[in-house]
Amino acid sequence: MSAAIITSGLSRSFDGCVAVDSLDLEVQAGEVLALLGPNGAGKTTTVRLLNGVLTPDSGGATVLGMDPNVDGDEVRRRTGVLTEAAGLDDRLTARENLEFTARMRGFTVAEARLRVDTQLDRFGMQSMAEYRTVGFSTGQKKRLALARSLLHDPEILFLDEPTSGLDPAATRDVTDLIGSLAREHGRTVLLATHFLGEAGRIADRMAVLDHGRLLAIGRPEDLAAELWDGTPAEIDLGEPATDATMSIVGQVEGVAGLEAGATGLTVALHDREAMARVLAALAAAGTSVYGASIRRASMEDVYFALEDSSLQRVAP
Amino acid sequence: MTIGTPLAAPTRPVGRSSRPFGVDWPVVSAVIARDLRAVRRSKAVVVPMMLVPFLLLVVLPLLVGLAARQASSPNGTISFIDSLPAALADPIANLPPDQQLLTLVLGYFLAPLFLIVPLMVSAVLAADAFAGEKERHTMETLLHLPITDRDLFIAKFLTGFLPAVAVSWIGFTAFAIVANGVSWGIVDGLIVPNGLWLVVIFWVAPAVATLGLGIMVRVSARSRTTQEANQLGGAVILPLIFLAVGQATGLLLVDLSVALAIGAAVWVIGLLLVWRGAARFTRDRIAGNP
Repeated sequence: MSAAIITSGLSRSFDGCVAVDSLDLEVQAGEVLALLGPNGAGKTTTVRLLNGVLTPDSGGATVLGMDPNVDGDEVRRRTGVLTEAAGLDDRLTARENLEFTARMRGFTVAEARLRVDTQLDRFGMQSMAEYRTVGFSTGQKKRLALARSLLHDPEILFLDEPTSGLDPAATRDVTDLIGSLAREHGRTVLLATHFLGEAGRIADRMAVLDHGRLLAIGRPEDLAAELWDGTPAEIDLGEPATDATMSIVGQVEGVAGLEAGATGLTVALHDREAMARVLAALAAAGTSVYGASIRRASMEDVYFALEDSSLQRVAP
Repeated sequence: MTIGTPLAAPTRPVGRSSRPFGVDWPVVSAVIARDLRAVRRSKAVVVPMMLVPFLLLVVLPLLVGLAARQASSPNGTISFIDSLPAALADPIANLPPDQQLLTLVLGYFLAPLFLIVPLMVSAVLAADAFAGEKERHTMETLLHLPITDRDLFIAKFLTGFLPAVAVSWIGFTAFAIVANGVSWGIVDGLIVPNGLWLVVIFWVAPAVATLGLGIMVRVSARSRTTQEANQLGGAVILPLIFLAVGQATGLLLVDLSVALAIGAAVWVIGLLLVWRGAARFTRDRIAGNP
């Protein structure tokens, strides 16, 4: 896989306030990268910098082999963007909004009509094509805006909070769609969001921004391994673990730590194979085990752990 | 939702060589067409844009013309004409007394007032095109499209300029019909167009539209809403009101040569403002100052 996006020391300030601070990032072609962070973390500014809308104060970026600061038009020709506000002109119909974008993207009038019809069909919005978007719900506007961002089949898709304001069903539709874009069509997706659930469902890797700085980037499980000593596993004993049970499990090879819970214990494992050894030891001691599962660290677990460690670093 | 097979790439050739004057005209015309289509559906924009020209160029000349027809004694007119400069007064003074008032009012006094039309239309459309995009949160979407800063500025400029000139010319045609109609049977021949009006229509009006745009581009950059831009930019009409009052009272008399000079000055100021506005119209500034 080659890199679709590379940034090196990318920085941008507004009136002395740092929005993006020395950002080093590499996104592979066909990858979905979740750009996570609270409001004001620098996610939107990063998207604007990568699409040549903003000029960096220092550092630079390469998008599809081009510098967006120099070849902004060519970059924007090959990327699609869904902004946080859908950005539809409420005085125009759904079709007119899409046809305008198609014309801007270089399609002839006939091509634009064909392309728009296809997109409206794909997104289930053909019946609303002739209505002005002023009456559309937030979800309908987002869906239409997403259809618009895909009109020209972009190689890279920048999605800025694509599911904000959507109901659960629409959120699932959109996240499924984004996932299929990368998996089935090899598109690169940069997903800027603070919704961790959706990011966890579709992103290959996560990058956590805070105050414009990159706190961490990687697969959630890799970041978890760096954050915590061992993989957490839950063992259901049907009752709190006794001291004798804790002692037995603590002596098993590959157990990094353990903690008693209301119905059993939580064990930190150095490797997955250690789980079998723990269960065998418990069985040999005659302890009843009602369930056991290795808990993969979710994007949410990792995010909050990173946020906590970031807070601890900046605390006086 | 399913994506299906990706469609083919656009067929329209891209590259500077296919662009007359280095401008991507299909893209520019797409922006203009979209903006004007949207404006047509906005009552808040269309109503003042149509109402003011109608009042100034149809109702006002009709009322003034009818009043002038009823004026029994032209003595006041004659004494007023005596106070005018020769270049302006001679053609009127040579007319029969019953034609003088109509010719003076419809042929000369209303000319500066007419300039409110291109100024107002261009200002209203510019506020909608620049500040309105920000207000509707559609500017960000535009900035992410493949259009150069310059082409986007040209499109926005023409969105205000072309309708302003078109409304002015159509309005003048209506004015000419009303003015000549109301003076029919009293004045020999046509009152308008005369030399002054032709200069105003084809030279000063486009210059005034450019001036209005130049001012509103600057004002819109500092405004978050169309209303705010209109309020800030409303002051641009004041010089024209002064000009019109000056013309009507004889304090500031606009004859052909003065109109040509005013037009030239307005062109210079307007183009300077537009040029400066274009230089500041960059994605970075717009996105960096939402």
